[in-house]
Amino acid sequence: MQSVGRFFDGESGQRLSVDLSVDTAADTLKLSHPELPMGSQYWPLVAIRALSDHARQDQLVLSLKADAALDSALIVTARLTVDDPDMVSILRRLCPDIGRVDVPKGTTGRIAKRAGLAVGALVLMIFVILPAMANTLARFIPVEREVAYGKAVVKQMERFMGGRGDQGLTCTGSKGRAALDAMIARLTDAADLQYDLNVNVFDHKMVNAFAAPGGQIVLMRGLIERAKTPDEVAGVLAHEIGHVEARDTTRNALRAAGSAGLLSLILGDFAGGSAVVVVAEYTLTASYTREAEAEADVFALEMLNAAGADATAFATFFDSLSELERLTPDLPEYLSTHPELVDRAAAARAFARDQGVTTPILDDAEWAALKKICT
Amino acid sequence: MSSQIQGRYFGTGKPLFGLYFKTAILTILTLGIYRFWAKTRIRKYIWSATSGDGDSFEYSGTGLEKFLGFLVAIVILAIYLGLFQLLLAFIGISIIPEDDSQAAIAAQAVAINLSILAVLPLMLFAQYRARRYKMARTRWRGIRFGMEKGAWGYAFRALGYIFLTIITLGLLNPLATFRLEKYMADRSWYGDARFEQMGRWQDLYAGMKHVFIGLGIIIAGVVFAIVTEGVGIAGVAAVIGYIWLLIGLIYYRVYAFNYLTRNKVLDERVMFDAHLETGAVIKIFVVGTIVIGLLMAVIFGIIAGIVASMSSAIMAGTASPALFVGLAIPYALAFLIAGGLSLVMITQPMIKYAVESMTVLNAVHLDTIHQRAADTGADAEGFADALDVGGAI
Ligand SMILES: [Zn+2]
Repeated sequence: MQSVGRFFDGESGQRLSVDLSVDTAADTLKLSHPELPMGSQYWPLVAIRALSDHARQDQLVLSLKADAALDSALIVTARLTVDDPDMVSILRRLCPDIGRVDVPKGTTGRIAKRAGLAVGALVLMIFVILPAMANTLARFIPVEREVAYGKAVVKQMERFMGGRGDQGLTCTGSKGRAALDAMIARLTDAADLQYDLNVNVFDHKMVNAFAAPGGQIVLMRGLIERAKTPDEVAGVLAHEIGHVEARDTTRNALRAAGSAGLLSLILGDFAGGSAVVVVAEYTLTASYTREAEAEADVFALEMLNAAGADATAFATFFDSLSELERLTPDLPEYLSTHPELVDRAAAARAFARDQGVTTPILDDAEWAALKKICT
Repeated sequence: MSSQIQGRYFGTGKPLFGLYFKTAILTILTLGIYRFWAKTRIRKYIWSATSGDGDSFEYSGTGLEKFLGFLVAIVILAIYLGLFQLLLAFIGISIIPEDDSQAAIAAQAVAINLSILAVLPLMLFAQYRARRYKMARTRWRGIRFGMEKGAWGYAFRALGYIFLTIITLGLLNPLATFRLEKYMADRSWYGDARFEQMGRWQDLYAGMKHVFIGLGIIIAGVVFAIVTEGVGIAGVAAVIGYIWLLIGLIYYRVYAFNYLTRNKVLDERVMFDAHLETGAVIKIFVVGTIVIGLLMAVIFGIIAGIVASMSSAIMAGTASPALFVGLAIPYALAFLIAGGLSLVMITQPMIKYAVESMTVLNAVHLDTIHQRAADTGADAEGFADALDVGGAI
C-alpha cells in the first residue's frame, strides 16, 4: 500500500510530502523523502497515536507515543497528516493503540496530592481559620453597632418570612406582651447580662426561635403553641439568650461572610450546580458550631435554675420536638440546626434531678395571655 | 507553497453538538469534575477544524493539567477570598450604619462592589494567563505558539485603562482596546518568530462612529423632551438610540478586530488581512438566538404542560417523588440542549466566519520559522477556571 502524507518534523515549519508505506512484516509505517535524515523514518505501528476529537473524519493526524511528560508542552512534536482514505482505514485497522491516551507515570499520586492539598486548605479555612478570626474580630465590634446590625437582621428575616408594612409580623397583644416581659424578668433578674434583651414574637406557624446580634431574640407563634407549659418556652428563650451572650450570632455572621462563595469555586457552574451550592452553603453557615450549642444549653439550664424554674421542662420540650421530627419529614429549621435532641433531653433531666424546689415561671392566667399574644 | 493562505473551517454542527452533549452529561455525573476534560475536548475539536493551507491547527492541552492547575488555584483563592470577605463583613458591621433599611441596602451594595474590586485584578490576571495557556497549547505544522509571561503587568495596565475609560465616559475606550491588545500581541510568538502590533490607537475612533450616533440620538431625544415637554418623541428616540448604540458596539468590536488583525506583523514579514462585516456577525447572532429561543419555548412549553396537567395531583400531595425526578431530568436536559445549540449555532458559526474572513499574506516566509522552546511557565489556566473567565470556549 502506497500513499502520500504531510510530515512536520516538529523543528521547522517546513512541510514535507512523504511517501508512506506499511510494512506488515515489520509492523512499521515507513516515511520516505529525500530531505529526511537517511531518506526515511520508521514508525512502529504500536507506537502510533491519532490526535483525539479531531474534527475531520476524512483525515488522521498522527504522532508517536511520547515519553511520559505531565506538562503537555513537552510532548514530542513530529506530526504526520494522512488524507488518503485507503491509508486512513488501513492505519485505523493495523495500529492497535491508535486511539489510546497515554497517561504519564505518577499521575494518580499527583492528583491525590493536589486534591488533598486543595480540600485540606478549604477545610482549614472554613472550619478553623475563619471561625477563629470571626471569634477574635467579633470582640472588636462596638456593642451599639452590634445592636444596629442585629435589628437589621431581624427586619430582613421578617421581610423574608412575609412580613409587610409598619407592623410586620411582630405580635403586640398587650396582656401577652406583659406575660412575656414577666418571663424575661424572672429569667434575667439573677443574671448579669452584657446586652439589653429585645424579645419579640413573630406571627408565624413555624416551630422555631432565633437570636440575632446585639440581644435580638425572636420566638415564633408556632413554638409557643407547641409548648405544653410556660417553662418550655422559658427553656428555649434561655437557650437563645445563651447564644446572644456568647456572641454566637455575630461570630456566625462573620464566618458566613468569609466562607460565602468558596464552595461555588469548587463546583463551578454546571446545570443544577448552583442549587447544590446554595443548599450546601446554607447548611454550612446557618448552623452554630456544636460547641456553641452545648454551651447555650448549659447556660439555659443554669439560668432556669437561678430563676427557680424546673429544668425538666427543657427536656420535655425536646421530647415533643423529637416526636414532631418523626411526624413531619420536612424538618423545621430549629430542629435541623439543633441536632441530637434525645441526648440534650437526657442532659437536661440529669440536671433537673439535682434541683431544689421550683415554681412555674408564669401563672395560668399569664400563660393563657402569652398563648394569645398574636390575636 | 502559496504566498497567500486563506483560513478555512471544517467543523459542522452535528458532531460538535454530540461532543458537547456527551461531555456535559459526564460533567453532571462527576459533580463538575469532568468539566476540565469537556472544555479541552471541545477546544480540540474547534482547533482541529481550523486549517490554513490544508494543515489543521492542533490543541495540545489536556484535561488533566487543567484540573491540576485548578486545584492549585483554589487553594490560593480560598485563602484570599475567605480572609478578604470576612474582613469586609467586619468593617461593614462595625463602621457602616445600618439603623434604617435604606442605609443597610446601601451598605450591602458597597460591600458587594468592594468584593468585586477584590476579584477584578485576579480576573484580569486570569484572562492573560488563560490566553497564554491557550497559545502555548496551540500548534500549526507542529510549531508551537507561545506568549511571554506578564500577567500581573497586564492586570495592572488593564485596571488603569478600565479606570480611564470609565472616568472619560468611554471616550478613551479605543486607547484601552489598542494598548491592551498591543501588550498581549507584542509578547506573542509563533515558533521563534515574534508578533508585533502596529498601527495607532487614534485610528480606532472611526469604529466608534455608530456608538457616538446612538448616544447622540438619545441625548437629542432627552434635550428635545426637556425643551418641548413632549415625552412621546423622547421615548421613540430612546429606543432608536439604544438599538443604534447596541449595534454600534458590535460594529466597534468588528472594526477593532479587523484593524488590529490587519496591523499585526509576524517576524517583520508575514502580514494578515481580515474583513469581517458587522451585518454578517449580527445575522449569525440573531438567527441563532431566534432558532434556539423558539426551540426552548417548545421544550419548556411541553414541560409546563405536563406540570399543569398533573397540578391537581401535586396540589393534593399525592404526586410521587418519581414524578418530580421525572420532571427535573427533562428540565436539566433542556438546559444542556440550549447550551449545545448556542455553541453550535452561534459560537461555531462565528468562529467559522472569522477564520474564513482571514488571510495570511507573504506566507512563504512561514517555512523558515523554527520551533520554540516549550513554555514551561505557561501552566494551566487554573484561575480562569476557578473564576469562570474566558468566555465561550
Ligand atoms: Zn441553639
